[in-house]
Amino acid sequence: MTPKNNLLIGVVIALLVAASYNIGANPIDFVEGLPNLAIIADEMTEIEPTLFVTAFWSMFETIQMAFIGTMVGVVISLPLSMFAARNLNSKYVYVPVRAILAAVRTFPSILWAILFVIMVGLGPFAGVLAIIMYTVGFVTKLQYESIETIDSDPMDAVKSIGVSKWQLIRYVVLPESAPHLLSQMLYMLDYNVRQTSILGLVGAGGIGFYIINYIKFFEYGKAVVFMLVVLFAVLVIDWVSVKIRDKYIVKSQHGIEVSTS
Amino acid sequence: MELLQITKLSDFPLISTKKIVQMNNVYTSYDSKNYVLKEITLSIDRGTIYVIVGQSGSGKSTLLKLMNGMMTPSKGTVKIDYQTPNMNDKKFKLMMHNIGYIPQSLGLIKNITVLENTLIGALPRLGKIQSLFKIFPEEEIAEAKKILKQVGLEGKEYRKAYMLSGGEKRRVAIARAFMQKPTLLLADEIVSELDSVTAREIMNLIADAQKTMNLTAIMVHHDMQLALEYANRVAVIKDGEKILEIGVEGDKIVDFQTGNLTPDEIMEMYSVDAKK
Ligand SMILES: Nc1ncnc2c1ncn2[C@@H]1O[C@H](COP(=O)(O)OP(=O)(O)O)[C@@H](O)[C@H]1O
Ligand SMILES: [Mg+2]
Repeated sequence: MTPKNNLLIGVVIALLVAASYNIGANPIDFVEGLPNLAIIADEMTEIEPTLFVTAFWSMFETIQMAFIGTMVGVVISLPLSMFAARNLNSKYVYVPVRAILAAVRTFPSILWAILFVIMVGLGPFAGVLAIIMYTVGFVTKLQYESIETIDSDPMDAVKSIGVSKWQLIRYVVLPESAPHLLSQMLYMLDYNVRQTSILGLVGAGGIGFYIINYIKFFEYGKAVVFMLVVLFAVLVIDWVSVKIRDKYIVKSQHGIEVSTS
Repeated sequence: MELLQITKLSDFPLISTKKIVQMNNVYTSYDSKNYVLKEITLSIDRGTIYVIVGQSGSGKSTLLKLMNGMMTPSKGTVKIDYQTPNMNDKKFKLMMHNIGYIPQSLGLIKNITVLENTLIGALPRLGKIQSLFKIFPEEEIAEAKKILKQVGLEGKEYRKAYMLSGGEKRRVAIARAFMQKPTLLLADEIVSELDSVTAREIMNLIADAQKTMNLTAIMVHHDMQLALEYANRVAVIKDGEKILEIGVEGDKIVDFQTGNLTPDEIMEMYSVDAKK
């Protein structure tokens, strides 16, 4: 440990203490609050099984919202990423496109949801629009980054035939980046199901609406039914994406790694 | 009564000038400081095989890229059929449709099939909508299959490119170039890293095309022996300069400076490193 490192650690600890004091984060409150957890846990044991039907239906709605949001988002992202990739455009094109995307990404999905609730009213449609915006912001970034890492050799070889830019995108860029795209889609769907589960908090549909309402009225037993269903759904989706990934992506990634010689 | 035989304009071969490539005192640089190629002057006859030999880093690949417009010279002139190569020039782009270029790494698209890789050579002839939906006319597909048979890939049309051996990948790259109906083929070290039997099979494909399609092939090689076996002309470059150009007629080698020599004498005299 150099003295410089010690000083740095000291500074970080001092900042941590100062910030905690400023926001009133007191560890003693945490310890004193632990018994309250027992009260919640106790109420949670009174699970109401009849609610499972409602819970599954609202989860199904959530998944459908996430699915629509992800698919539409990806479909919008794909052409957008072609304009944002540095190896396909002049900087007069990709700089503004990237700036807009960066702005879109600064909003978390819950803020988009509030905006769309104001625009189109309460309900799942506002949630879907929020998910679309969030997905476009992120998938476009992931996608143009993977386009920029495409091997330049096939690009050069096909460019040298004198093909049009659209042919280059269709015949080189898309097939070379397709494995990434599929993996990004799965990742995003997985992530969006979790996100959509909380959009109900602001009235944008989905299972979160029930959870927040039961918690508001201290009906933890009912809330826990819905939380268990979310947990179950997320685990299932995780498992399914792993299967799809293994089947389609690992194989084709292998293809990418094989050298030409 | 017999109809008058009308001769179409295309039945008259255009008065083909002999020289397809002309370079005059060419200098090139990647960083606008050091010249990678210096004082390169050469001219290449239509319908011949021209081989460029030299050590790694001597500027061979750069020289090829000057011929299809991927590079532009810092000084001097390059002419392909009397046009200046430039990728961004609409007129030259038309010419690029018929210039096959096989980079050192081949540039195949690994996740698509052999047939699809070959059809890429036909893209300049495909309309916008057809391109979008990957609809190739029957006759193009038939042509691609014919070419794949010609290069020895019959039965492998639907394999993914990444599953092929090194020799097979080179055949696909050749098929893609042949699909362009090329007048000029630029091939960068296409037989390096191959065993000598496979290397000769590949070279024979190109030599056949030279004869049957009147193709001009400009190739980069490491191996002087193989170059002398197939080429009409061999140029040796060293540190970016052309230090020697020899003509090959039958089993005679004509050095324009010193008279007739054998391959061994040439290799000894110019200390050409045949294998890296
Ligand atoms: N894209 C590039 N940027 C900068 N320098 C390069 C680039 N490509 C090649 N060079 C340099 O130019 C010289 C000639 O390279 P190259 O034409 O590839 O030689 P060869 O094909 O004979 O091995 C080498 O010194 C190499 O380092
Ligand atoms: Mg090279």
